[in-house]
Amino acid sequence: MTKLRLALMASVIAFASTAASAADKPVYGVLMKTLANPFWGAMEQGVKAGADAAGVEYYLQAAESDQAAEPQLNLCNTMLERKPAVMITAAINSNILLPCLKSANDMGIPVVDLDGNLDPAINEKAGVKIAFQIGSDNEAAGAQGADYVVSKLGKDAKGPVLVIEGLSGNITGQKRARGFAEQLKKTAPGLEIVASLPGDWDRGKAANITNDILTKHPDLVAIFAANDGMALGAVETVFAANRGEQVTIVGVDGNSDAVKSIKEGRLTASVAQLPYLVGKQAVESVKLVAEGKEVPAVVHVPTMVLTKAVLDAGTEPMLEFVK
Amino acid sequence: MQSSYIAAQSSGWRQLQFFFDSKLHVRLESIIVLLVLGTAMTVLSPYFLSVSNFLNILLATSTIGVLAIGTTLILCSGGLDLSIGSILGVAGVVGAYFCVELEWPWPMAIIGALGAGALAGYVNGLFITQLRIPAFIVTLGMLGIARGIALLIAPNGGAIYGLPAPVVYLGQGRPLGIPSPVVILILVAILSHYLLAYSRFGRHTLAIGDNEQAGRATGIPVERLRRKLYTISGLMAGLAGLIFMARVNAGDPTAGFTYELTAITAAIIGGTSLFGGKGSILGAIVGALIMGVLQNGLNLLAVQSYYQQIAIGAVLILAVYIDQLQTEKEKKA
Repeated sequence: MTKLRLALMASVIAFASTAASAADKPVYGVLMKTLANPFWGAMEQGVKAGADAAGVEYYLQAAESDQAAEPQLNLCNTMLERKPAVMITAAINSNILLPCLKSANDMGIPVVDLDGNLDPAINEKAGVKIAFQIGSDNEAAGAQGADYVVSKLGKDAKGPVLVIEGLSGNITGQKRARGFAEQLKKTAPGLEIVASLPGDWDRGKAANITNDILTKHPDLVAIFAANDGMALGAVETVFAANRGEQVTIVGVDGNSDAVKSIKEGRLTASVAQLPYLVGKQAVESVKLVAEGKEVPAVVHVPTMVLTKAVLDAGTEPMLEFVK
Repeated sequence: MQSSYIAAQSSGWRQLQFFFDSKLHVRLESIIVLLVLGTAMTVLSPYFLSVSNFLNILLATSTIGVLAIGTTLILCSGGLDLSIGSILGVAGVVGAYFCVELEWPWPMAIIGALGAGALAGYVNGLFITQLRIPAFIVTLGMLGIARGIALLIAPNGGAIYGLPAPVVYLGQGRPLGIPSPVVILILVAILSHYLLAYSRFGRHTLAIGDNEQAGRATGIPVERLRRKLYTISGLMAGLAGLIFMARVNAGDPTAGFTYELTAITAAIIGGTSLFGGKGSILGAIVGALIMGVLQNGLNLLAVQSYYQQIAIGAVLILAVYIDQLQTEKEKKA
């Protein structure tokens, strides 16, 4: 009987201590767009690393696709039911999550705009307060893409260029396209953007757009896509049309699919975001906010251009954050 | 009458089924599935059983619920409307355009959304009845046309943000603590239920769905009825578009994408036949709630969205299978 009593006591103590420690650790809610893109998978790894370092727990959820706007809103509301200490969200577009984030504000839960998907002007109109926004500087990323194209083709290059934008109305895609277009006009006026069409982050759509523009402009010299998924769709089309050598294709994100394609010599380059760093820093910074410390309203995580040369050399220090 | 004979002769279970079927026009099985799901979720997640979570479920179900009501009427009549998702989108954009871009007074948002929906539905009905093109094809075409028009009206294909406060109240207000979209859904459901179950309009709808020739022979103005039904379906889609627009305070041209499939799923899970002649509004609401509880519960349990899609597909097939078993049993009786 004593052994049984001892065992019971031990298990009660163990249970109580785990319950106590579980109650001590704050729980963060993390809402991504979708886990289908490896970009978000890398960010999830960063969140995990950040959470381990900061000593917090989290639950991470995502919608089924990066166009499933209303399901993401419903998911957000449901996540708030669990009363997280913090809500970290990557909104599918700049207005869908606002009703939920307003509720979070009312509940006193700080909100972090992950990857800069919200528009500060719209936030202000809606009365939604964000603790801070963290992500890459998307306009600078677009400009880096333009700089790479110009460095490869030359300042005096002439020819048609295709821009494939993101999801219609998504601010991240808009910023990248705008950054690219403005930098291109400044540094190489001879390169003309003949079309700037929304690919909706979709590989298939980007492939179709590329096909159509290639038919119209067989002398196409470069394609800039606002993310790697779409860039890879363009790559397949260009190679299928036997123009792989003539067209410089640049994506954004630097996800694992893109890295593979660049190493194989198909995708020319990608402006790599460092989603691992973004996720990690988001959690670390929001812990400071939860403790009442100041954090800058906009936190930019740097981007870098990945090319075959850079990947083969492998000496670039930031490469460790490209997952 | 055969049914009261059955009721008198058979077990308590059969009598209960009969009660639900004849008085409330809902299949008992659907309600049981809903209760079982609810109980399972309560056991699995401590966050499920709360007033705020239930209101969340109702709120999340409101858009699909309204769409499912229109879908039920159409399916009962033997028709099909694939365009309701796109009509939802264009209605929201039109309503937002009137109030934000044209700066017309706020009632124009409501009139614009409902009007756009009803107009699109009427056009559907016209093409189906006058040009005699099958409903599948007309509404499939309207799916593309309405979506394209929505993207054209919205500047640069992006959402039109910032509606007047009275309109936003329709989506974000909480009269007596209940979210406005839920109130709207309940009112529309009650009205439509009476329309379908107790009015001549409803009886005629079911009749032409069951056997159009026989209906025509008894003097039902089939073409005029169909035009009315498609207009109502469009109107419901317009209402759903209005609710969604108010909820997110923006006219989003990409809203409602693939919603028609979800609405049809909800109606069928609730007992409406895909081929016409049988259906219930309350059943559609229960069907939508089954899907809503499933999604909400799985969200609370942090189950991946992909499993939810599998679960809903499985529930749909199971629901129709059970219904089929029931119909065969009744035939043998």
